Amino acid sequence: MNFELPTLVALGSVYLSLLFGIAYITERGWIPQRVVRHPIVYVLSLGVFASIWAYYGVVGSAQREGYGYLANSIGISLAFMLSPLLLRPLLELTRTYQLSSLADLLAFRYRSPWVGTVTTLVILVGVTPLIALQIRAVADTADILSPAASHGSIAVGFCVLITLFAILFGTSRRPGRTQHDGLMMAIAFESLIKLFAFLVVGGFAIFGGFGGFDEMQEWLLTQPDLLGSLEDTNYFSSFHVMALLFFSAAVAMPHMFYVTFNGNAGRGALSFASWGLPLYFLLMSLPVLPILWAGIRGGSTVPVEYFPVAIGVAFDRPGISLLAYLGGLSAASGLIIVITLALSNMCLNHLILPIQQPAASKDIYRWLMQRRRVLITALIWAGFAFHYLPSDKISIQLMGTVAFAAGLQFLPGIVAILYWPLANKRGFFVGLASGVGIWFPLFMLPLLSETYSFSDIVINWRETAALSLIINCLAFIFGSLYFGSSDEERSSADLCTLDTIKRRKRSGLVAKSAGDFIKSLSKPLGERTATREVGQALKDLGLKKDDRRPYAMRLLRGRLEANLSGLLGPSIAREIIDSYLPYSIVSQHGSSDVTVIENRIEAYRSNLSGMAADLDNLRRYHRQILLDLPLGVCSLSSDREIIMWNRALEEFTEISSADVVGSQLSDLPEPWLTLLEDFIGEDIDHSYKQSFELSAAKRTVNLHKAFIEESGETGSNEGLIILMEDMTETEILEAGLTHSERLASIGRLAAGVAHEIGNPITGIACLAQIIRDEYKDSELTGLAQQIIEQTDRTSKILQSLVNFAHAGTNKLMHENERVLISECIAQAQTLVSLDKKNKELQLEIDCDAEAAILGDSQRLLQVLINLINNARDASQAGGTIVLAAKNMGSHVHISVTDFGVGIPNAIKSRVFDPFFTTKEAGEGTGLGLSLVFSIVEDLNGNIDIISPFDRTRGTGTQVLLKFPCYDPQLAET
Amino acid sequence: MLLVIIYLLFLLTVDWINAAGGLWWRPFVVAFIVVLVASWAHREQETDEPE
Repeated sequence: MNFELPTLVALGSVYLSLLFGIAYITERGWIPQRVVRHPIVYVLSLGVFASIWAYYGVVGSAQREGYGYLANSIGISLAFMLSPLLLRPLLELTRTYQLSSLADLLAFRYRSPWVGTVTTLVILVGVTPLIALQIRAVADTADILSPAASHGSIAVGFCVLITLFAILFGTSRRPGRTQHDGLMMAIAFESLIKLFAFLVVGGFAIFGGFGGFDEMQEWLLTQPDLLGSLEDTNYFSSFHVMALLFFSAAVAMPHMFYVTFNGNAGRGALSFASWGLPLYFLLMSLPVLPILWAGIRGGSTVPVEYFPVAIGVAFDRPGISLLAYLGGLSAASGLIIVITLALSNMCLNHLILPIQQPAASKDIYRWLMQRRRVLITALIWAGFAFHYLPSDKISIQLMGTVAFAAGLQFLPGIVAILYWPLANKRGFFVGLASGVGIWFPLFMLPLLSETYSFSDIVINWRETAALSLIINCLAFIFGSLYFGSSDEERSSADLCTLDTIKRRKRSGLVAKSAGDFIKSLSKPLGERTATREVGQALKDLGLKKDDRRPYAMRLLRGRLEANLSGLLGPSIAREIIDSYLPYSIVSQHGSSDVTVIENRIEAYRSNLSGMAADLDNLRRYHRQILLDLPLGVCSLSSDREIIMWNRALEEFTEISSADVVGSQLSDLPEPWLTLLEDFIGEDIDHSYKQSFELSAAKRTVNLHKAFIEESGETGSNEGLIILMEDMTETEILEAGLTHSERLASIGRLAAGVAHEIGNPITGIACLAQIIRDEYKDSELTGLAQQIIEQTDRTSKILQSLVNFAHAGTNKLMHENERVLISECIAQAQTLVSLDKKNKELQLEIDCDAEAAILGDSQRLLQVLINLINNARDASQAGGTIVLAAKNMGSHVHISVTDFGVGIPNAIKSRVFDPFFTTKEAGEGTGLGLSLVFSIVEDLNGNIDIISPFDRTRGTGTQVLLKFPCYDPQLAET
Repeated sequence: MLLVIIYLLFLLTVDWINAAGGLWWRPFVVAFIVVLVASWAHREQETDEPE
């Protein structure tokens, strides 16, 4: 059974075109986002790790080591199952700082561009065998299916196709910025095809190769060698080394780093992958043994690794062979595309950009894209060249192991990022040099040399890998301890520690606005690029272009560094940011950005446990106290940046905390700026009754301040806390109290005066009456009568004074009974009608029969008569006065309305003042309404004056009294 | 916690797996149980992952 070479080429071309088509329609948005961003897509895209070694290599491994072939799958599965230990914190770091490769991550942590460069070089050399083995496997399997075809021409054809598609995939969008949704979908599809093909081939092995599951079991029992290899536990000795090799590959291999951290589809995706990827590898592992046994039974003469393709040939099922070949092609092409894209990024950021950077006048994005294309091409063809070097005797699995052993050398450096703050770049270099010093001669050279083979090495490759790792770790630890860390490395270690809380320092920037940022960055990047990057960073942060808050500027700087890091690598990005967006104020030790720390803790809160959670609860409790304090609290940094603005202050100033936190004190609007600046400038800690105008109203505050002492140091402070106490209401109450006291004094004075004057007046009146009665029909009679009238008038005034003075002071003497308002109004009407002045008065009564209050009917009568008399005086002759009483829920509303001239605005506030009157002298005492006010208050009511009542004409006055309705229970108590 | 469960599962089943004879599928049953445990262990954390 042979296939024509054009058939295989056509199959490969169609398949790769299909992959590209999927990527294209994904990027066009033709596939719904819920599908593209589904965690299953993420898991399947991680399946790129199952390249040729998992598709072909494991079959050979299963023959040699029995169940030992599962070590590969178990290693990578453990890395994901235990993702909270390594992958999740690294994911957080790479997302926060836009680190797109292992070299970026290590260069960021160890604060050295050289770390990135060396990492890139080692990985470049290390993974070349991995690319080479993909090319070799595709060419070998094509050889099996089409023996007439030249191995070299198949390899060349495959490399040409894959170069074309890798360029199309990798350079269609801006590097490091997007999540490459299209690529991820294509890789996920590739993983699906690979799994499907492998399961179908496995199914064929059982049912086509043996005739069924039971038959396969029976056949297996007749193969003692195979059974023995399954029961043999010798592989245990190397199982953990192999598992560790693949555990580290989850982070150290560029293609896995690329997919795991750059292609993450969002919330929960990594958690999903923590069991989804192990399930994928479990499914990939299932058909391995049946394929191996079917190949042995079928008598295939090809290398064991290629049994998936060979069993179709052995059992004369061309469809199965073609499907198996397609699965292998899929595995190889997926890995090559992803690994070359990832490596091209690394090479660009760490090998090319440190030497040559694009001029500001050039289109940076185009410049980067051109170089990426060249790098992708070079990497694939380097793999092609390399695949000729190893001897045919070296299995593809061994070639893969050499590459993974190179990745293992980075494990100490990666683990130290999260778990060892004392690690430093010198220790990293020493450790890496030691590990690579063992790896290169004992792994790499035997691959390249015909005469220097693996069999010449005394110890086996697993022990070599373990030895290289141990020496690497020891050298790393001792090197780091011996050389010590720089300040920059310690700061970087702080950023990377496991709690993942970014301790950004709170410092001022020279650039004060987004415009300044663009202007500064235009020098290295060009105006167009700078504008685009600043705009993108503002968009990412949801900030406005005119935002000038220092806090916002710091966030913008951090985001720009992260974005440029994705574009140019962390080293170049940091250099540009530090040079062109420097800090103006170097922050003091401990002056961390409290706002940022708080936000980070809030975001990470659900991950805290144990004492950290308790401390967080305590922090929240204290913070809540400050936020809910009924006093305004504002805390300022030493450079007058607003750190806290609590809710009471928000309500009082009507300035939202979100608008003001992070800005300078000088950015506050008036009158707050002057108020606070003046107070801070004064050498006092308390300032009482500071008055100012706000919205045309007078406001009064008490201010208090305290300096926040820096912990551990005396004499210096971290900032200032200001308490603002709203005294406006208190001021009004105090004024009212003073007024009441004044009135009470007047009352006491009036009572005294009335008593003292009353007696002589009574005497005068008696004498006048005697004169009138004794000297009838004389001139004295008239004079005596006038004296009597004047003394009567004086007595009335005195009685009013006494009534006013006694109002509210002798409640026990008043009745407390049910007062029916209708009766009271009727009585008032009768009494008022007796006065000759009221003869022309028209009284309209509108009263609920059941309206009643608790009180003294005589006092209410006094109130009504006073109000009717006032209304009469304000009305024209023959005018109408309306008396109404209505039950309004729990209250009774009594109103006295006239349609007279109304009360001028200027005197409205004084009508209840004692002795205030607009009547002619002798007409009124000015005590009527004061008395009404006192009685209404005694009866638990309140009084409103609505004037003008008729707003269209501007005339009329309504006096509205509100009393609680009569409540029998209340009356009893 | 997950690591402890997996390790205990490994200790409990290693003899059973090695005494498989022709029952070659036994390791895969254990692996499947491990995946189930992992899916349960990571279920709660899905809502905790910072965006």
